Amino acid sequence: MSGQFASLLIALPLISAFFIPVLKQIGKGLIKPFLILITALQTGIAAWVFKEVYTTGEPIIVFAGGWRPPIGINLYIGHFAALFVLIVAAISFLMAVFSLRAVEVEPIDKFAMLFLLLMLGATGMIATGDIFNLFVFMEITAITAYALTAYNKTGEAAEASMKYIVLGGIGSSFFLIGVALIYGSLGTLNMAQIAQLAGRINPVVAQVGLALIIFGLAVEAELFPLNAWAPDAYQAAPHPITVMFSAFVVKAGLYAMARILYIMSSTVRWSSVLKLLLVMATLTVVIAELSALRQRNVKRMIAYSSIAQIGLITLAFALGTAEGVEAGTFHMVNHAIVKALLFLAVGYVAITLDGAELEKFQGLGKRMPLTALAISVGAIATVGIPLFNVFWSKVRIIMATLDAGYLWAAALVLFASVVEAVYYFRLLHTMWFGKTGSKVGENTVVVAMLLFLLVLVVAIGIYPDYAWSLAKKAGEDIFNVAQYVKNVPLVEVGA
Amino acid sequence: MISAYYFGSVALILIGLYAVLVKKNLLKILIGLGIMETGVNLLLISIGYVSGRSAPILSEGIGPNQAVDPIPQALVLTAIVIGVATTAMALSVAILIYEKYGTLNVEEIRRLRG
Repeated sequence: MSGQFASLLIALPLISAFFIPVLKQIGKGLIKPFLILITALQTGIAAWVFKEVYTTGEPIIVFAGGWRPPIGINLYIGHFAALFVLIVAAISFLMAVFSLRAVEVEPIDKFAMLFLLLMLGATGMIATGDIFNLFVFMEITAITAYALTAYNKTGEAAEASMKYIVLGGIGSSFFLIGVALIYGSLGTLNMAQIAQLAGRINPVVAQVGLALIIFGLAVEAELFPLNAWAPDAYQAAPHPITVMFSAFVVKAGLYAMARILYIMSSTVRWSSVLKLLLVMATLTVVIAELSALRQRNVKRMIAYSSIAQIGLITLAFALGTAEGVEAGTFHMVNHAIVKALLFLAVGYVAITLDGAELEKFQGLGKRMPLTALAISVGAIATVGIPLFNVFWSKVRIIMATLDAGYLWAAALVLFASVVEAVYYFRLLHTMWFGKTGSKVGENTVVVAMLLFLLVLVVAIGIYPDYAWSLAKKAGEDIFNVAQYVKNVPLVEVGA
Repeated sequence: MISAYYFGSVALILIGLYAVLVKKNLLKILIGLGIMETGVNLLLISIGYVSGRSAPILSEGIGPNQAVDPIPQALVLTAIVIGVATTAMALSVAILIYEKYGTLNVEEIRRLRG
């Protein structure tokens, strides 16, 4: 099969989203199974793309309309994109199954449509090779995320969504100014050609443009001064959507940030932008962990923990070394799995026991043993205990930070991990040693998904080598810009 | 000498940003966002302007050499639509907020804390 079929990753969710209103006319009961079917198909396509890219070692480049880059838009599905497109699709599939139980609020057709468009936006952000196209996919992701945050139609949901809209609006405007500056200076929007020409750009324009783009993407990627919307949105959004935000919407923003950062790496004042990002990332980790410490709502607590992990990944990307980028990519994979597990379990508790306050988790170990086990494994893994997956990536990030010579950043991040251990062990104590209530029946499907993710966490923890080799290749895809430029067949454009 | 287009568009962006940061009424904040988007679009368009050339439509007497840069126009067309969609989304959420809270003052819309 030709690699051009990889464009189905974008086409399939888009066309299915448009079929949902038609389907609603036939019968409302069909919508949720349709969602599961489409996400399963998407996972299949993503798995095929993943297999293709990792066996041949060559990226798949899709040309839109048969126009060669830099004239047409190209999708670049290298090792990184193949891995994350698969993660996006697989998590979406699990969440489509979870939506069967978790989403009872009407209108379900709009939920399904927005769900598919959110998946489409994240896939597009990861796959695209053009910065304006990246902006468009970012806006598709953002606008669907605004709508899905407000989906429950409570006051809190509307408030959270409004915060997100205002910050996201400022962020996307700044991103667009950055794109305008780079286009005005280089005359191209294609990432490979930007990378080729970046050495020649006026250093001030490059610095300001890059800083504006990073500022804009920091809203999506939840970095410190711009992440006030995130805990609110995580708390107020429907439970499956929270998982999707944490597991891949943020990752798409982070990846876009890392990609644009590294394609501009030959500009003169690049290291000053890296320093800015490094400070933002460290502050994100420390402030988010300290905020998590005083939360009473477990979903909000894990939201802060998720932000802190994102800060850690950004720290790794901002080091500017190959080890850092590879470790950051590895942490992205691990974090996607662990946070999907945690938010899925907490969301399930919240719909079963009606609320996610810490009191509801009293004695959960006796009431819902398998769910409690899943939360415990997720919590222990996030803290970074050996034999669980996050340990390996955290160690690598800290080693890479020390190698790059940022002792203060490593010390602050380690301090934050101690804080993280405190609030997670408080949760574990409440769950396993609290007063017990009556036993509650657990849904088999949800438990099966939890156990699947749990096995992944432990399997990567005990045999990290395979996952590490995948992440290493994916990280190289971002770091090795010369190879990236060589892979994209640019045609000469007449003046 | 900075061209009036650049100066004007950056001024619009700053006015919008000022409104978003300082105003207390939610609708004024959304108006600020709208002004900011307009400023960004104007900046994009003025980057593609080549002095003395006409609209990039190939017709009698106007060849590729007499046209301004067409790419920013395509970008702005997209960005305008995105801006309108965001504004529509924001206004519907603002209606929802007014129904639930009975106010549009951002200092009183504070149920989510911590």
